[in-house]
Amino acid sequence: MSALLEVRNLRVRFNGFTAVDGVDLDVAAGELLGIVGESGSGKSVSMMALMGLIDAPGIVTADALRFDGQDLLTMSAAQRRRGLGKFVGKDVAMVFQDALNSLNPSHTVGNQVREVLRVHLGLRGAALETRVLELFERVEIPAAKTRLGAYPHEMSGGMNQRVMIAMAIACEPRLLIADEPTTALDVTIQAQVMDLLLRLQREQGMGLVLITHDLAVVATMAQRVAVMYAGQVVETASTDTLFEQPRHPYTQALLAALPEHNRGGPEEGRRLSALPGIVPGRNDRPAGCLLAPRCSHVQPRCQAERPELVGGVRCFFPQAIKQGPA
Amino acid sequence: MKAFIANRGAFIALLVFAAVVLAALLAPWLAPHDPVQQFREHMLTPPVWQAGGLAQFPLGTDELGRCLLSRLLFGARVSLMIGVLSVLLALLPGIVLGLVAAFHPRWVSPLVMRVMDVLLALPGLLLAIGVITILGPGLINTVIAIAVGALPGYVRLVRGSALAELGRDYVTASRLAGAGTLRLMFDTVLPNCLAPVIVSATLSFSSAILETAALGFLGLGVQAPQPEWGSMLSAARDYIERAPWVVTLPGLSILVTVLAVNLMGDGLRDALDPKLRQA
Amino acid sequence: MSEPVMHAQDLVRHYRVRQGLFAPAATVKALDGVSFTLRARRTLAVVGESGCGKSTLARQLTLIEPPTSGALRLDGVDAAVADKPTLRQLRQRVQMVFQNPYASLNPRKTIAAALAEPLVINTALSARERQQRVLQMIERVGLRPEHAGRYPHMFSGGQRQRVAVARAMMLQPAVVVADEPTSALDVSIQAQVLNLFMDLQEATGTAYVFISHNLAVVEHVAHDVMVMYLGRAVEQGPKTQVLGSPLHPYTRALLGAVPVLKKADRRPRIPLVGETPSPLAPPSGCAFHTRCPLAVARCKAEVPMLRELGGRQVACHLAEVGP
Repeated sequence: MSALLEVRNLRVRFNGFTAVDGVDLDVAAGELLGIVGESGSGKSVSMMALMGLIDAPGIVTADALRFDGQDLLTMSAAQRRRGLGKFVGKDVAMVFQDALNSLNPSHTVGNQVREVLRVHLGLRGAALETRVLELFERVEIPAAKTRLGAYPHEMSGGMNQRVMIAMAIACEPRLLIADEPTTALDVTIQAQVMDLLLRLQREQGMGLVLITHDLAVVATMAQRVAVMYAGQVVETASTDTLFEQPRHPYTQALLAALPEHNRGGPEEGRRLSALPGIVPGRNDRPAGCLLAPRCSHVQPRCQAERPELVGGVRCFFPQAIKQGPA
Repeated sequence: MKAFIANRGAFIALLVFAAVVLAALLAPWLAPHDPVQQFREHMLTPPVWQAGGLAQFPLGTDELGRCLLSRLLFGARVSLMIGVLSVLLALLPGIVLGLVAAFHPRWVSPLVMRVMDVLLALPGLLLAIGVITILGPGLINTVIAIAVGALPGYVRLVRGSALAELGRDYVTASRLAGAGTLRLMFDTVLPNCLAPVIVSATLSFSSAILETAALGFLGLGVQAPQPEWGSMLSAARDYIERAPWVVTLPGLSILVTVLAVNLMGDGLRDALDPKLRQA
Repeated sequence: MSEPVMHAQDLVRHYRVRQGLFAPAATVKALDGVSFTLRARRTLAVVGESGCGKSTLARQLTLIEPPTSGALRLDGVDAAVADKPTLRQLRQRVQMVFQNPYASLNPRKTIAAALAEPLVINTALSARERQQRVLQMIERVGLRPEHAGRYPHMFSGGQRQRVAVARAMMLQPAVVVADEPTSALDVSIQAQVLNLFMDLQEATGTAYVFISHNLAVVEHVAHDVMVMYLGRAVEQGPKTQVLGSPLHPYTRALLGAVPVLKKADRRPRIPLVGETPSPLAPPSGCAFHTRCPLAVARCKAEVPMLRELGGRQVACHLAEVGP
């Protein structure tokens, strides 16, 4: 499978603060890459940078940024949006977290999807109507015809998210980026929407980048996972490898902190193994490894130097610990 | 605080306003003459920098020979005092009524808001004139008239803010801790509603000065011979061509003070807003 | 077995909703008959999706609103029919921790002031005694004494939740209702806060009503589980039974829908058709029948009552203890 998306050393800076530091990513066609991280990890900012959605004073730099063979670095953000086949919105689309906040409350959902089709594919009249209806049915919105005239606030969260997905796949993108698409939804609706995304991905052979903080979602859906911490990718591996033999202390700590990992209940007096401290903010970035202040395996070298991403792990002392039953 | 000082316009405005306040406070010592004393031999003397001006009267005299500088200084006292008093007189009942309306949405709120709507329906100046007609002219009644006009604005503002805060979890938490209505109103909710109110108060201050001037101009506010910028303007109407300084200088005083207060209010709002957003 | 600290019997809460000028008012049956018994040092987890009534239940249990009908016994007194002074006393026995750490603390109060408030209102302690208790509680929840004079916006989400827990515990309540207390927190912070909950329960014997949609968390903290759907409990009982071998189709669907890390622990997927009906127009008979893969004619006609089956209670006509 050819690489659909190649990102090398993506860096995003805001007024001297490096929000995203040296992110490398690869997504192949038809592959689902999960990007996992907690708040402050820079996962959303990285994707927005990719889509050219970071405005001044943010500065986006990268050593390489290739989509489907085209070098995005030579394109300005404006070009990325308008030039070369109207790349963003057409070949690469994004689905956001809270559909109610991402949809325009003053326009019907039908019109919002129509707008995408009009701008990117130039459809008009009957062709436009057919395609809109088709899209609504594809994302499994029941009674599609009547729903076309509904406003976002008249529909549930799950329905609105489907509308967002319809807008995203309208132009049959090669790559879909979904930023926490189901976090705001109920569990059963979440399952429906995830199923939908997977089915669409299979049908269209899209690459899918799924950004989430939910490790379990990634475990069930992704082929490859990248774990981010404080703006850096700290580990990247195939899903099975990552969850069975995590090498980076942060990945290990995340997995250890999950309630699933500590089976048993309150009678057994089990406590979750919690990673002490909090993610470093703008003003307290350590000189060495960003995890050093919280890491249980910290060595002097970690406090002095910043490790590079080597063989998929960003750590001077990666330890493969087999994840058995707790 | 820092944000406010960073805003250069607001900071300069603050300095100007401080100067006006200082001048008003020190009026008895700064004024060269008694503001009501008439110097019949020196009626309509131009300011010192014009031909015919006298050092004795730095800003000239008015049509009755009263020192303009002294009258402006004492007039500042009147304007500022009316500004402060009318704002307070509108602010305090406004806060109470707004909170009460927010906390009792079923009966009290519609009642209070309809009364406020009636007050709002009347144009501000007309309302003030109406009150003055009932109470009679004079300084205290001017304060009351202006306060009545400003009241509905505060009630609405406070009620709106309070309603927004009432839905938040921390209010419920205080309720769960056993807080009664009074504590909820003044200790829990009010501090979180104050920022827009403070900004509004600053801006009301400047409109109070303008209204006083308007009432004075109409002869309904502060009465002669007490110096007040608006009535000074009115009395000097006939002399615009012959002795423009008698009109221009009070007008300028009004302009400068109101501008300073407005810029300060803007600066205050800008300084308070981001913090509100952060919190 | 310790004495029950809270006993709810057929709690019902209906709201009248105006539907515009010309339509008759509708009734939202937010809570339609919920019963449970809660003992000291035990946690009852309430699980359900939006519209199930768990927020309404939280408001009932914390005495914010009286129920439309039913009884709520606290310390032997029925709060549903209590007079105002009694309610004020009872209020000290039930406290709440809210979901959103960014909205549950008064932005204009220091942590110390917020923690002292319940003491000021309900006790006659001197300022120094209050200060002492406040500092004690601050350290108990894992914060430092110098944090006392700071304002909420200076703290992270996890720290704010610690303060929220501290505030809830100030009056030493018998029951704490926790409404999704860790849903807004990152995984590593969630672990810290959950540990805090469990440590406090062990130390003080407080009972928890723990509302959560995160089944892994529920598995970790709960003794008993109650699954709610459209205002009713569809399955409730000891956690091992309800989560281990669920009998109600909705519980099974819920468990199947939750993404689980380890392949070995994954449940069979039971896809549900459509979405939760609006509480304004609940389906006839069993409220779940519109989405249930097993529904038969009886389900549409008759409301199933909770019955004892397999060590727990289930409200389903078709549930059988099976393999």
